[in-house]
Amino acid sequence: MNLFQSITSALDNALSRDPTAVIFGEDVAFGGVFRCTVGLQDKYGKDRVFNTPLCEQGIVGFGIGVAVAGATAIAEIQFADYIFPAFDQIVNEAAKYRYRSGDLFNCGSLTIRAPWGCVGHGALYHSQSPEAFFAHCPGIKVVIPRSPLQAKGLLLSCIEDKNPCIFFEPKVLYRAAVEQVPVEPYYIPLSQAEVLQEGSDVTLVAWGTQVHVIREVATMAQDKLGVSCEVIDLKTILPWDNETVCKSVAKTGRLLISHEAPLTGGFASEISSTVQEECFLNLEAPISRVCGYDTPFPHIFEPFYIPDKWKCYDAVRKMINY
Amino acid sequence: CEKACMMYSKFVFIPVTRLHEKAGLLNCVSHFASEATFDVKKCDLHRLEEGPPVTTVLTREEGLRYYRTMQTIRRMELKADQLYKQKIIRGFCHLYDGQEACCVGLEAAIKPTDHLITAYRAHGYAYTRGTPIREILAELTGRKGGCAKGKGGSMHMYAKNFYGGNGIVGAQVPLGAGIALACNYFGKDEICLTLYGDGAANQGQIFETYNMAALWKLPCIFICENNRYGMGTSVERAAASTDYYKRGDFIPGIRVDGMDILCVREATKFAADYCRSGKGPMLMELQTYRYHGHSMSDPGISYRTREEIQEVRSKSDPITLLKDRMVNNNLSNIEELKEIDVEVRKEIEEAAQFATTDPEPSLEELGNHIYKNEPPFEVRGPSQWIKYKSIG
Repeated sequence: MNLFQSITSALDNALSRDPTAVIFGEDVAFGGVFRCTVGLQDKYGKDRVFNTPLCEQGIVGFGIGVAVAGATAIAEIQFADYIFPAFDQIVNEAAKYRYRSGDLFNCGSLTIRAPWGCVGHGALYHSQSPEAFFAHCPGIKVVIPRSPLQAKGLLLSCIEDKNPCIFFEPKVLYRAAVEQVPVEPYYIPLSQAEVLQEGSDVTLVAWGTQVHVIREVATMAQDKLGVSCEVIDLKTILPWDNETVCKSVAKTGRLLISHEAPLTGGFASEISSTVQEECFLNLEAPISRVCGYDTPFPHIFEPFYIPDKWKCYDAVRKMINY
Repeated sequence: CEKACMMYSKFVFIPVTRLHEKAGLLNCVSHFASEATFDVKKCDLHRLEEGPPVTTVLTREEGLRYYRTMQTIRRMELKADQLYKQKIIRGFCHLYDGQEACCVGLEAAIKPTDHLITAYRAHGYAYTRGTPIREILAELTGRKGGCAKGKGGSMHMYAKNFYGGNGIVGAQVPLGAGIALACNYFGKDEICLTLYGDGAANQGQIFETYNMAALWKLPCIFICENNRYGMGTSVERAAASTDYYKRGDFIPGIRVDGMDILCVREATKFAADYCRSGKGPMLMELQTYRYHGHSMSDPGISYRTREEIQEVRSKSDPITLLKDRMVNNNLSNIEELKEIDVEVRKEIEEAAQFATTDPEPSLEELGNHIYKNEPPFEVRGPSQWIKYKSIG
């Protein structure tokens, strides 16, 4: 299955196991602009899979209400770039509901899904990666898969999780990434980073599409520099698995973090700061962050903007020679 | 035409009446009417005692001008479609063909010093507000000759008193009210036309803006371009009330036939006079239609039938309506209008040529215009060793 088919499969499993689950968002009924919800309305009916009008703040607010009343709400925001009208609802309402009511109420059964990341021709408003804005908000979970197999497991875990979750789906991988994915439900635990490749010289950390870039960089570093890289997929941005990352840096002594979002205030800064606190004496070189430029996502400069393998490779080289 | 007359008179004497039969030469012998009166559809009214007039006068000069402008926009959009399919234009492209009467009609009723802001289906407005065709097409292809230096693309075109070109649905409406407040503040008798679509009409910020505009009596005309589909969702499935002209509740509204340029012009004049007199905002719903899908990635036929599109094209096409009116009332003839078509085609071809050959902006542009700073500052790049200078 490719990524959107694995999402459909996960949603199918969720709706069949949980009779209270509902899916809603803009254009989800016919299948969604990325075909993630194809066939679900026919299978489960109009009262469980339905369209909302064009109102993100309304969608999330409505989703919080559905979740508080006890049903499982799976809201779709059409592009992560459009999530900002709903930012208030997510940060002020969803994240703080359990806390402010002393655990009397919660909207844990809310999951928000949104396509995320650059796609080659998205320009300013169809390419953003806003995970850093939400990482600053205790009370929600932010999850980003790197492949169809991961996506289905992580999405099902998000839906099961008793906390409001935001699930960002790398839109460039919707068709491009294809894997063997089981049809039955399975769960991948949240807040656990995965070491994809063991190494001894440099730790490379990324999430979503960027994981594939750093895997390539690891191969390049091995071939050209003889450098052995440990590749980690962070998977959950909030709460993030600092144990795995710190353990790895304690072993290698060098860290490179890479993401498409702009450098200043991007999530790499949080990782970098925590790692230097925990592993200061283990560090052999300053922690490297290879990220997007501090500009709005450009219309035509995209190939220059994104942190591609060459920029990451260059950073690895500089760290090794520090 | 003058040359042709002279040629004929050099070689042979032909009576004027025979000349008449030789079509195409007669434009210089002006036997056209200079103006004609037309009936326009009565507009539905909300909280108004009387509406725009039901008859209007169209002069020959105006008619030719509107025809040329609408035809230019039509051909420009079709050229953009072609360039997109050739992958010379990439990214997002929301085409305006079918809705030309709206932008040309609106522009005909306001002054160049008035202000206008709209959403992403903005190529028509960029043109009517003064951007040359070549700059629009160059912006679409992302070249430095584009009106936004190639950095904005389809959705972000700007001109004097035209504030774009906005990607986020509904986000431009509060901006429009702000512009209207500034008009009031500067006391220059200007108004702001704030446009949005039937999909955006359900956004919360629109209603917040209605409240502010009415409370402070801002000279703002809210215009809902209802083309019946918000992307792929028909208005019946998206809105509890499809009477978009009534959605302003306490704001008076009119519903206008957006395929008839004269109806749009009269309604806008009426609304503009209302706003300029300090009575506060007004809402106009333009009932219109788009032939293309929502954007170039939407074929446009999965949520509506080809028959429906064909029907609108044959019965209510704005350019055809104007053409028929002009020809049937002797304001012009088929040949003259065909000449205009040919000239327009040539103009668009030249603009497209420019748009495909102009160079792209240089890489230094990537960091420019983020902030306004006197000394250029450094923009951090993907790693600590890459920095770009940003010129504000």
